[in-house]
Amino acid sequence: MSGPAGTVTGGALQGVLAAVDAASYGYGVAGAHLPTAGRAAAQRDWADLQVTRDELVSMLASRGAPAPAARDAYQLPFPVHSAPAAVSLAGYLQNRLAAAYLGLVALDDPALRAWGARQAQACAVRATGWLGRTVAFPGLSTQAVGPARVGPVQDGRARPAASP
Amino acid sequence: MLAAAAAAVPLLAAGCKGVGGLGTLPRPRPDVAVLRAAIGNEQALIARYRSALAAAPALKDILDPVLGQHQAHLAALRSRLIGPAATPHPARPSPAATAGGADQTSTLAALAAAEQAAAGRRVSRLTVASPSLAQLLASISASEASHAALLRMHRSAP
Repeated sequence: MSGPAGTVTGGALQGVLAAVDAASYGYGVAGAHLPTAGRAAAQRDWADLQVTRDELVSMLASRGAPAPAARDAYQLPFPVHSAPAAVSLAGYLQNRLAAAYLGLVALDDPALRAWGARQAQACAVRATGWLGRTVAFPGLSTQAVGPARVGPVQDGRARPAASP
Repeated sequence: MLAAAAAAVPLLAAGCKGVGGLGTLPRPRPDVAVLRAAIGNEQALIARYRSALAAAPALKDILDPVLGQHQAHLAALRSRLIGPAATPHPARPSPAATAGGADQTSTLAALAAAEQAAAGRRVSRLTVASPSLAQLLASISASEASHAALLRMHRSAP
């Protein structure tokens, strides 16, 4: 970790690590409210997150940057007391992860850009597996990229999946 | 592609009076070429969806939302391009989409394959884009990968 570029890269990787830890916690909550099939899918996503966490810790170590430990608990974006809410949470977590990976895509390192983009793709695919629908700009707020907001809007508010 | 991007600047300048007094025109940034390629890809995908919808109207409920998201991609890309909107890649109907009478399963499979290919192509072009354009392209590629997943879900369980 030397120089401003290294600091920026380390910070971006730490941001992804924090998002991965928050998502791991969220999946623990979601899994408790899902029926058997959904719980198995949540466990697969959770296991993928642990593999990614190990990769991130290794990437940080190779840059001489610290890997902050996960917190004991995280604030959930909405109350989760039912299977539908648990499914929404899983989709929400994947979109938040995609946003964190897009932070890597803004770096100068071509390998990290490509890795971040592939991870964001995987997040969007998982979110679609949970929610059964897609969004135009996974991980980005639509306001950031243009005026158009495509997709169903109910009661003046976009569905949870359309919100970053 | 680079030549096409460079040609855009004189066209743009021709629309302004007294541009000569501004001195040397800036060289087009690499983003212009990347944007034009991305716009061409989006137009080709949109043409594919329109052809598929014309050939298989029963797929409307599945394909319309995806088509709408591609139109949002195109609008976001175009909003970053200052200059003529003409594309160096005129959209051409795909053989799969224009075959007519193709069953819905193979239409969904062909569209899923096109989405997956588009998602992969965009990742390979991230390196030369500015940070913010790279993020937009990565997000669009993620949307396309999820479209492929959605189409496969409908193909296996229509």
